[in-house]
Amino acid sequence: MPTKTIKVDYLARVEGEGALDLFIEGGEVKSANLRIFEPPRFFEAFLRGRSYKELPDIVARICGICPIAYQMSATHAVENAFGVSIGGQLRALRRLIYCGEWIESHALHVLMLHAPDFLGYPDGIAMSRDHGEIVRGGLKLKKAGNDLMRLLGGREIHPVSIRAGGFYHVPRKRDFEPIAEDLRRAHEIAVALLRWVGTFEFPELEQDYEFVALRHPHEYPFNEGRLVSSKGIDIDIADYESIFEERHVAHSTALHSVIKDRGAYLVGPLARYALNFDRLSPDVQALAGEAGLGPVCRNPFKSIIVRSVELVHACEEALRVIAAYEEPDRPFVQVEPRAATGFGCTEAPRGICWHRYDFNAEGDIEKARIVPPTSQNQPSIEADLKEVAGMMVDEPDDVIRHRCEQAIRNYDPCISCSAHFLKLQVHRS
Amino acid sequence: MAGRRVVVIGLGNPDRGDDGLGPYVAERLAGRLSAGASLKMRTGDGLGLLDDWQGFEVAIIIDAAAPVGAPGRIHRIELETSGELPVVSQTSSHGFGFDEAFALASSMNMLPGRVIVYAVEGNSFDHGTGLTAAVAAFAEEVAVRVVEEVAGLLAGDGPGPIST
Repeated sequence: MPTKTIKVDYLARVEGEGALDLFIEGGEVKSANLRIFEPPRFFEAFLRGRSYKELPDIVARICGICPIAYQMSATHAVENAFGVSIGGQLRALRRLIYCGEWIESHALHVLMLHAPDFLGYPDGIAMSRDHGEIVRGGLKLKKAGNDLMRLLGGREIHPVSIRAGGFYHVPRKRDFEPIAEDLRRAHEIAVALLRWVGTFEFPELEQDYEFVALRHPHEYPFNEGRLVSSKGIDIDIADYESIFEERHVAHSTALHSVIKDRGAYLVGPLARYALNFDRLSPDVQALAGEAGLGPVCRNPFKSIIVRSVELVHACEEALRVIAAYEEPDRPFVQVEPRAATGFGCTEAPRGICWHRYDFNAEGDIEKARIVPPTSQNQPSIEADLKEVAGMMVDEPDDVIRHRCEQAIRNYDPCISCSAHFLKLQVHRS
Repeated sequence: MAGRRVVVIGLGNPDRGDDGLGPYVAERLAGRLSAGASLKMRTGDGLGLLDDWQGFEVAIIIDAAAPVGAPGRIHRIELETSGELPVVSQTSSHGFGFDEAFALASSMNMLPGRVIVYAVEGNSFDHGTGLTAAVAAFAEEVAVRVVEEVAGLLAGDGPGPIST
């Protein structure tokens, strides 16, 4: 039986190294394997024996774009283990630095990495020739996020001021004055960006995802909440392992996460939005509606709109935290180690980032488990690819290739975080 | 060159062997540049270069270069800041480097009037390592040449050679 192969050696505009194999038989897509061949980095192994005090600085090194996610999940796990709860302004500052990370990460992805797909440009640089004003605005938006991370974290990449119990240093109220002005401008830019992406044409695709995200009683989630799904899961984060499991697959150095009973699930902007629409402000909800979204979005290509909604939200939330900020008496609360297991789960830009650590009485790590968002989304990415390619099997290979790459970029995948990304091979028979 | 504004930017990652050459030279330049010149370091996101050189007439970039035979060899290159857009390949969401920043700035008219690059051939770019001795030995020579170039620019000397 004749076989046809389409091959993309490396997917552009994602982070990390991997490949995609599409197997097409008799005009039907039999399988879509996301082949991740980047070597694992063994963070969980070399955390063993390290003190809880070193944990935030080590896990920050997992990712240059979303270090806050790893730092926040880790510090929450430490505090969970040692029986400490962070409230007041320290808690608010954690939301604020997370706003910074969402802003810089989403702005980069929406503008420089994802938008070119919808407008027919090979990349953001080529797009900037025709859309210079929007790109300049997006860079200002990204910078506002980076500035927040630098102010609170000491630097924007691998911040150094996060510690169990709070921060090594917190800003004075007047330190926020210039950044608040930039954030007001960033908010206007984010609203314009949302309206702009809402005008794009989107491929028709509705997927029956099981959305999984944190849900908090009052807030659109960053750091805290119960783990809920669109198909009835509602658990404490400590019970994650009772519902979800990671499996080895032959074609990937990243583990695949599934719901034990049902298989693939989806984390990230679409899931957060669908499960927490009512936690967005009326203004943000109205803007989402103007951009063409209902309270639930099941078209993965429209994730660019949802990310833009979250950009507006993050700017709004950051301004809210800054307006209410009063410098706390101390930048951290004291943490006393004890032998215990702690859990942390926070909303990275790409979805939930779940951590579990076993500590001994001195607070040294005996065992670590880190489940990043991209590894959780791999089965859903493959399901999307099978569906997307299935709708266009008779198209030329380069058309299939482009659309599949676009489908992968819907997820803003961070392969290095998950392995743990992209060559595309289509095998036709 | 009264009134001209010059920024010197040491570019690179100090945790990647000889890639740390730019920041290393920038540290050595502290307090040595002529009044009126600014000194910056860019150790992470390359897109930040667009902010680093915004408002300056001349940007001098100190960066490590891929080895082409002689570790430590210094190349002075003045880039064409007008005309055809350079073609770059953006392959990573995380790794915007100098090439991408220059191309992006060029397409949006966000480049300084002149961009001069001191590119020093590296030897090793391993994770978690410092400069190799062969490359570190040339850091002071780069620093001296940059100090002289900045002084010349601010004193109104004409442009240097396009490439050496």
